[in-house]
Amino acid sequence: MRPESGGWAGGILRVDLSGRSSRVSPSEPYVERFVGGLGLAAKIAWDEISPGCSALGAENKLIFAAGPLTGTLAPGSGRLEVVAKSPRTYPQETVTRSGLGGHWGRELKLAGYDALVLEGRAERPVYLLIRRDGVEFHPAEDLWGQDTFATQKLLRRRHGPRSQAVCIGPAGENQVLSATIMSETSFCAGKSGFGAVMGAKKVKAVVVDGSGGSIGVAHPGRLIQLQAHYRELLGVSPMREWTVGYVPPAHHLEFFNNYRSGNASCFGCPLQCMAFVRVPGLEPSQISCVNWFYLNPAHDYYGPGLEADQAFWSANLLSNKLGLDTFELAGVAPWLKDLYQAGLIDEKSAGLPLSRFGSREYISQLIESIAFRRGLGDVLALGAARAAEKLPGAWPIYERYYPAHGQTEHDSVRNFPGIALLWALDSRDPMIDHHAYRHLSVTRLRWPQPHGLTREQAEAAAEKIFGDKTAIDHSTYQAKARAVAYCQNRSCVMNALVLCDLLYPIFISQSRSDRLGDTAAESRLFSAVTGRETTEPELDLIGERIFTLERAIMVREGRTRAEDTLHQGHFQDLAQDSPAARAGGTGYGLAADDSRAVPRADFERAKTEYYNIRGYDPETGVPTRQTLLDLGLEEVAAELWPQGSAGPAAGPAGERGDP
Amino acid sequence: MNLRRDLTFSELNMRPRQSLVANPEACTGCRTCETVCSLVKVGRIQPESARLRVEREPFEGLFRPHVCRQCSTPHCLRACPEKAIGISPKTGAVIIDRSKCQGCGSCAEACPFGMIVFQAEEGQAAKCDLCGGQPNCLRVCPTSALGLVFFGPRSEG
Repeated sequence: MRPESGGWAGGILRVDLSGRSSRVSPSEPYVERFVGGLGLAAKIAWDEISPGCSALGAENKLIFAAGPLTGTLAPGSGRLEVVAKSPRTYPQETVTRSGLGGHWGRELKLAGYDALVLEGRAERPVYLLIRRDGVEFHPAEDLWGQDTFATQKLLRRRHGPRSQAVCIGPAGENQVLSATIMSETSFCAGKSGFGAVMGAKKVKAVVVDGSGGSIGVAHPGRLIQLQAHYRELLGVSPMREWTVGYVPPAHHLEFFNNYRSGNASCFGCPLQCMAFVRVPGLEPSQISCVNWFYLNPAHDYYGPGLEADQAFWSANLLSNKLGLDTFELAGVAPWLKDLYQAGLIDEKSAGLPLSRFGSREYISQLIESIAFRRGLGDVLALGAARAAEKLPGAWPIYERYYPAHGQTEHDSVRNFPGIALLWALDSRDPMIDHHAYRHLSVTRLRWPQPHGLTREQAEAAAEKIFGDKTAIDHSTYQAKARAVAYCQNRSCVMNALVLCDLLYPIFISQSRSDRLGDTAAESRLFSAVTGRETTEPELDLIGERIFTLERAIMVREGRTRAEDTLHQGHFQDLAQDSPAARAGGTGYGLAADDSRAVPRADFERAKTEYYNIRGYDPETGVPTRQTLLDLGLEEVAAELWPQGSAGPAAGPAGERGDP
Repeated sequence: MNLRRDLTFSELNMRPRQSLVANPEACTGCRTCETVCSLVKVGRIQPESARLRVEREPFEGLFRPHVCRQCSTPHCLRACPEKAIGISPKTGAVIIDRSKCQGCGSCAEACPFGMIVFQAEEGQAAKCDLCGGQPNCLRVCPTSALGLVFFGPRSEG
């Protein structure tokens, strides 16, 4: 019997905001080479977002792409990828990605669509209502200016509790470059400034109601067995208890003991990395990971107690309600404190209570000033990197919190060679897509037993995954290039399917005594859902294709080897008494001795090794014509290497390097 | 179908039976139970076909799984004009015999808990049958928000 094909919803919904029309095309032509999610979206971006396109212009396209596993029984299948030209990436705008968890992706697929592409720009604020029978444009003047909670509550009342929304807050409306796209209280596409892109298109929200729809599964019985198997293999992570990947400080756990009402999760997830919290006097909300950014400052300022907890909680609430990226704030808040202490900014001209870092006033006024672009906030609304260019003397201290691309520190690039390369070779903070490598090589070695890894267990896992335990040895740049390329390919597979980065690839098992995971999970789940029997190496090849397609998009925008780097300050030792060294990082860097420099010669040698592994020209970082052809990217080869040309077609001249 | 029918009130009311119970405090709203249920029952992921449902209040942090109680006095059973609903001799669950169901909707109207679903394609009523005593939803729930209880006479000792 021929199995029912499963996984894909079948349609790509394109909404022309300028012309107030929509059309549906099949997703099938994208599936064979690019699967879905990030792969499908990257192909649309290659075809349709020109290298000269302005991120906040009408010509940019905002692509929401689910994958064949989104909304299925596969553990961690609540996600989708958002792709567009980003206004946030630094030094130049580039096409990049941002993941979004929750329940909206499943609803989009039930409505019949694997992807939604927003094109053009509405004349007046609108929101969209998507159902199986079509798209409605609704005026959003009454919602414009409202926060993300109020907006969604109103839309839920209007369109029923079954409906799911993504929306922007005032920060997105005001085109703040660190604005997010929000769903519910804390599901968030945060890193790439896509809230500003949605705001520029004057789209307040996209509501989806997939009532009556279904998602096919080729082999339901196999999928049910695999779900049970992988849930068991993954085991119970302490992130369910902590909601963060590091061992939290005592006052974090104390906060949970006082205020947690339960845990929460995305669709289809056994991990439950979010907690639901009620702090007296303030609205309840979910919390996860970087939402904790203001806990330590508040406790340092007030000492333990309700006042500190309220200050911290209001920071989390306000950033999510106004639609600002908490990861950006995790860098900006302490950076400004340092600038103030160094005498580089003052309270009067900034219009902020800078002397009271840790107070509720400090963070509330800072968040509001950015979201509504008031005073210093109007400069900070450009993102920290562009703001640091404008504020005299601010750059060296900025670099302490920001490794590259204008995005906040997320593991120390000074301490961890593999992580430094991941940062340098990406267009944005890579660590969201590389939790697996980070957990194997850093985080879980610091977890207490019974959760943690011993050095021997981690090395055995690295030997199995990378064929070389040196891949997780942080004292050397050896064996990093190959490991990084492999991890990038796997992250592209995961983001094409789309599965959660906190679960996949399964490098480590929490339930097995040897802690060895299973990197074949994605291919087995993909085969069961879609009925397309696909091996792990075959999926890896698709991942490599998608990564190189992303690379080609960047190359066309002007990216070369020279831009595959970190902010230049990281190549120097920090003097221990410099303001930057005293700053101490954001706390997300896990840095013990991170005043040491990134060794430039080793770093560059590893890059050369990396380009050779990838089949990119080591001089320029451009994928060779042969590599593109080998990966089945004929149309990319034809455009990057026009007939008879000796070199690749030149991209537009971008801003280069740091000031 | 081997179902017990035409039971007296007392036989029905006092019968030993299993039932799912929901623990909303432990539920995280992940909907894995709904997903596996529709996969098992209709071979597709289709929330409306799931024999249980999760009500989510994301701004209150309230996630409430709703399950069929396999009532001691099943309103659905008594409402069925075709006598298509009976009792499983094995689990005591309330079962719809689809060879008899005409899709009139009387059972759905009668159920005070809204736990009868209609499979759009076939126009018949469907409800939780406890998967014969080993509910799949229970197996996949990652937080033990679902349980299976036994009602009936206790043995001595």
